[in-house]
Amino acid sequence: MRFIHFTQPNARAFAPSANFGGRLGAGIENQIDWLFGTALNGFTGSARSGQFPVDLYEDKDNTYVRAELPGATRDAISVEIVDGSLSIQASRKEKAGEGETAVSYSRLVAIPDEVQADKVSATYVDGVLTVTLPRKEEAKPTKINVSVN
Amino acid sequence: MSFFNTTETPSNGSCAADGACATRRPRYDVNETEGSYDLTVNLPGVARGGLEITDEGGQLTIRGQRPVLPEGRAVLHRETSDAAFELVLVHDNTVDASKIEAELKDGVLRLKLAKSESAKPRKISVS
Repeated sequence: MRFIHFTQPNARAFAPSANFGGRLGAGIENQIDWLFGTALNGFTGSARSGQFPVDLYEDKDNTYVRAELPGATRDAISVEIVDGSLSIQASRKEKAGEGETAVSYSRLVAIPDEVQADKVSATYVDGVLTVTLPRKEEAKPTKINVSVN
Repeated sequence: MSFFNTTETPSNGSCAADGACATRRPRYDVNETEGSYDLTVNLPGVARGGLEITDEGGQLTIRGQRPVLPEGRAVLHRETSDAAFELVLVHDNTVDASKIEAELKDGVLRLKLAKSESAKPRKISVS
């Protein structure tokens, strides 16, 4: 399968080329997985798509949700807890020549149930939104002392 | 337009045998205006100290390092990677390297690359 690069910019210029994202030597399964992955996610490597990746971490006190939202307008970032999920919405305005394009991001992330909803905090630094969800007190691992007679 | 002949893999071949690469290509857009190329690159998590832009031999290289997350956290779900960002764009000297303006804000790098004189359309008069 070969992708032909035209010299005029068009959608094909952003299509993945035939080297399968560097996985040529990785075996036919990985190549097909990669092709399906790009087909389902769209061929856009564009900086303006409305999807964004999130990471979930936890330690003994908190659950952390980290979302990559580069260029979002600070006032337009909204984080809400809805029915046991975290809803992240943001929008981004981009000036392109004479016009302005707006991209909106929106995603629901499932979060663990044991979260103190009133103590949730969030920071937005360098395009990364980090939401800190403190775990409920009773959900923290407690040490139980076993007394032996 | 040589901006679209971007290299797909890191230029120094730093990929391991199983295809895992040490750097990732960030999402970017190029918008051409009459006198310049406007380049927008998504570099979430990259601060000014972790950003490096070099222009050499007709090739513009943008590298961004992301800070390592604090220890002691268990990973529940990951969709990002800790790999540094690397973007190599071949412009073949259609860009005037001394006039590059760059701005990094909220994880978005905006570059204004002025076209070099030879790349601008020139009228040729016939005597």
